[in-house]
Amino acid sequence: MVPERVAKAEKKDWAFINAWSLSLFGAIAALFTLCTLWPEPYLDVLSFLPDGLFVTFEVTVLSISCAVPLGLLTGLGRISKNRAINLLASTYVEIIRGIPLLVQIFYIYYALAKFLQVSGLTSAVIAISFCYGAYMGEVFRAGIMAISKGQSEAARSLGFNRFQTMFYVILPQAWRTILPPVGNECIAMLKDTSLVSVMAMPDLMQRGRSFAAKTYLYFETYTIIALIYLIITLLLSKGVSFMETRLNYYDKRK
Amino acid sequence: MMRTLRALLFALVAGGMLCGNALAADKLIVASDPTWPPIEFLDAQKNVVGFDPDYITAVAKEAGLSVEVRNIAWDGIFAGVGAGTYDIVASGVSITPEREKAFDFTIPYYTVHQIVVTRKADSYADFASLKGKTIGGQIGNTGIRVAEKAKSGATIKEYDDVGLAMQDLLNNRIDAVICDSPVALYYANKKEGFNDKLRIAFHTPEGESFGFVVRKGRKDLVEKLNKGIEAVRAKGIEKELLAKWLGE
Repeated sequence: MVPERVAKAEKKDWAFINAWSLSLFGAIAALFTLCTLWPEPYLDVLSFLPDGLFVTFEVTVLSISCAVPLGLLTGLGRISKNRAINLLASTYVEIIRGIPLLVQIFYIYYALAKFLQVSGLTSAVIAISFCYGAYMGEVFRAGIMAISKGQSEAARSLGFNRFQTMFYVILPQAWRTILPPVGNECIAMLKDTSLVSVMAMPDLMQRGRSFAAKTYLYFETYTIIALIYLIITLLLSKGVSFMETRLNYYDKRK
Repeated sequence: MMRTLRALLFALVAGGMLCGNALAADKLIVASDPTWPPIEFLDAQKNVVGFDPDYITAVAKEAGLSVEVRNIAWDGIFAGVGAGTYDIVASGVSITPEREKAFDFTIPYYTVHQIVVTRKADSYADFASLKGKTIGGQIGNTGIRVAEKAKSGATIKEYDDVGLAMQDLLNNRIDAVICDSPVALYYANKKEGFNDKLRIAFHTPEGESFGFVVRKGRKDLVEKLNKGIEAVRAKGIEKELLAKWLGE
């Protein structure tokens, strides 16, 4: 029997201890500890990386802003009744999904250079957004299909045309289903930008690789790199879940 | 157990005798790690070929010795020559003060520089002229460090291997590639698809010298090999080999 006056742990007292905060504060604490206790080499590694971090963000933001519209178009194409558009969108998804991103990057940057030469940044954004556009297309398709047919029938009977039905009635509702997986795709995308180092792009990963190659400090360098990737993806995932909460506002009120 | 030991002992003795025979016949065993084309590499029949094998064979011939080149992994190649498992290491070994403490080296037979390769149309002549341009190289290679030290104001791009950097040079994405001279010469003078479009722009003044390695204290062998190297040079064989393998 627990006496009543003993303070029991309320659910809200433990609310701040969850997987997310444990990982984030653990990572920050580890980074901080390493850099204060052993500034040589850890702080040296860290001070070598900022411009690489900038390139990683640049590639991620540009790729997200290309991949989301591309995914939307692909999703719409996949549910289109126009056979040609449907076939085009479906073929795109099938082809891109079947080729590893690393191969796509090599293909666009090195193989296609025979015919046209695009810069490293452009190749990176094209490769990543084409790849993730295909994955996101499937997410958009599933999200749109999940909205009951009655919604579009009602909108159409109220005089909305097909375009208006999609953009004013279906998509705003579908966003709530679409957003979590799209957010996950964005996080995966940020991690996959580490592949662009094969194009000699000075991103976070490449900065780490060249530092390790110069100093032979493989353990120290990749520990720091891993912690930084972990911290930024955790922050990004918090951003996604925050947006989710906002979009679920009306659901919560019930 | 006893039997295994005896078999082992027998194998050792037999091996020793074989080795002894090889030495008695004045046939020297040369160790080479064939992973560095065109210095030394495996041909389609998995024979060790390249500049080093040909060079040491020619040197030995001039010195009145005969050699057999064997494929030995770089890991432990020095331990093997120290223990007397083979007589000579001919594997693009740079002469360094640390190594000279542990082994005897012949006189240098080849010097590598860091060479900067550019496209034929360009006329860069030094690091200063590459200011604001982009230099490519292999990640972690000495060339990258040389380019960084030069502080030319050029952007340095690090590729996974030199071939990709050369490809990007052809594709006009970068303006120069820095790498070891044999590799640079191979691309600029020999490799089809590259040799008509690339040129050697300049090289670093300071170089690293390759020497053949023998066990510490084998002064007689070093002397013979040195004489062989001098003869190979005097007779113009070296020139032939440089032309054959390195396109110089």
